Amino acid sequence: MIELTNVSKTFSSGIDALHNISLTIGKEEFVFLVGSSGAGKTTLLKMLYREDLPTSGKVIVDRVNVAELNPDQVPYLRRNIGVVFQDFKLLPKRTVYENVAFALRVTGAPRSTIRRKAMQALELVGMLRRVSSFPNELSGGEKQRVCIARAIVNNPPILLADEPTGNLDPTTSWDILQLLDKINKRNTTVVVATHNKSIVDEMKKRVIELDGGRLIRDQQLGMYNV
Amino acid sequence: MFSSIEFFIIEAFRSFRRSALMTMVAIVTITVSLTVFGFFLLSIINMGNIVGTFASRLDLVAYTSKDLSLEDAAAVQLKIGKLPGVEKVEFTSKTEAWKKFKGDFGSKLALEEIVHENPLPHTFAVRVRNPDMLPVVAKSISDLEVIDEVRYSGKLIDQMRSMVGAVRAAGIVLVVLLSLATLLIVVNTIRLTVIARETDIYIMKLVGATNTFVKWPFIIEGIMIGVIGGIASFIILKLSYDSAIMQISAALPFLPVVTDQRLLWFVYLVMTMTGVGLGMLGGYISVSRALKNEP
Repeated sequence: MIELTNVSKTFSSGIDALHNISLTIGKEEFVFLVGSSGAGKTTLLKMLYREDLPTSGKVIVDRVNVAELNPDQVPYLRRNIGVVFQDFKLLPKRTVYENVAFALRVTGAPRSTIRRKAMQALELVGMLRRVSSFPNELSGGEKQRVCIARAIVNNPPILLADEPTGNLDPTTSWDILQLLDKINKRNTTVVVATHNKSIVDEMKKRVIELDGGRLIRDQQLGMYNV
Repeated sequence: MFSSIEFFIIEAFRSFRRSALMTMVAIVTITVSLTVFGFFLLSIINMGNIVGTFASRLDLVAYTSKDLSLEDAAAVQLKIGKLPGVEKVEFTSKTEAWKKFKGDFGSKLALEEIVHENPLPHTFAVRVRNPDMLPVVAKSISDLEVIDEVRYSGKLIDQMRSMVGAVRAAGIVLVVLLSLATLLIVVNTIRLTVIARETDIYIMKLVGATNTFVKWPFIIEGIMIGVIGGIASFIILKLSYDSAIMQISAALPFLPVVTDQRLLWFVYLVMTMTGVGLGMLGGYISVSRALKNEP
């Protein structure tokens, strides 16, 4: 599903964000991407949804070479990838429902489809009761649920989460990870970048560790530390 | 598709409201620019009309050699009448001219004592169809053997023409400059709303909106600014032109002002569409610039 071959990224400032990374993530896998801040986790995720381009190397997502993708095609790549953020990136002046429906609207989906799919996604994340609330009326965990609902509303085969629990307390973090696991079990490849040790240790999934832009560990049923 | 169009319009109104003050500034600017634009357009059309009307009233006068017989003069009149561009030829015999001259001045001068014989030639007053033809017609008449001299007020017309030309050139320069200034202001106004909606745009791009889709609300916002500015300037211009015309035709009834409603509505339409075009272009430029710096 995801294949990186010798991917390096050097920013224009000269900082080496990723160094010669090669890895493969299969269909419907659940992978933790761990490492301290600045290790290159976010940069690696950005390569996948083409928020950023590699300096060298090949990034293949769903059989498509992302780096060589024609800019016109990028939107269609992104409809196959859901992204969840630490800071949620919800639109503050729109309700929960509108935030989720927004992701479908911009793809030009018909209104009836928008309604059905948005409600399904909100039901999956357990937010049906809050559809008309605004983001500032929600707790952090609820915001993250809405963010996840928005990411999966298009039924993408891939879900990327960048520090999804970074702003949440341990119990809520655990709930969110359970939710991501549930989504993974619905045939979605899930990649979670995190430095939340207890969650990684508890979930016992594949762990890929980055340090200073280098891949230093790739372990099935891994723990946060070796 | 229908739900998308609805989405674009709702989004455009949203950002319209959000940056209401800047939007007002843009609307006022576009209104002022378009009004000046329309004012110049109307002025140029009217000046052209005035020059054209006066020029067409100006006659060309041809003088014959003095000893031409009346029969020959009649033949010449026919000949001139057949020249291309000539509308009408009026003949005044030297006897009539002399009589008239004496009638006009005879009481003041003891003409008979100075001049014993009629010194005047036969004259032809020639009216041309199109004032532009005056020099050509003058040339072909003076080429006739029996014609001594041809006179017309070419200089006056040329002066009026060059004045109209200068005003037109100044108007074009001014209109271009104003359009650029207006465009810049619209671009910056919409740029503010683009910045205000950066997260929206980011999210739209993230969930797979195409660039075209992201652009439409901003283009529509620009169009709305243009439409409102266009209509406002149309109202201002129409009211002031109509009242100006009333006053001018009361004060200077001989001045030929343009009242052809079809032409006027065409001017108003051009002006309003220019506003819409400027607004649309402004929206397009500002959102395109925002979308450009991405991989």
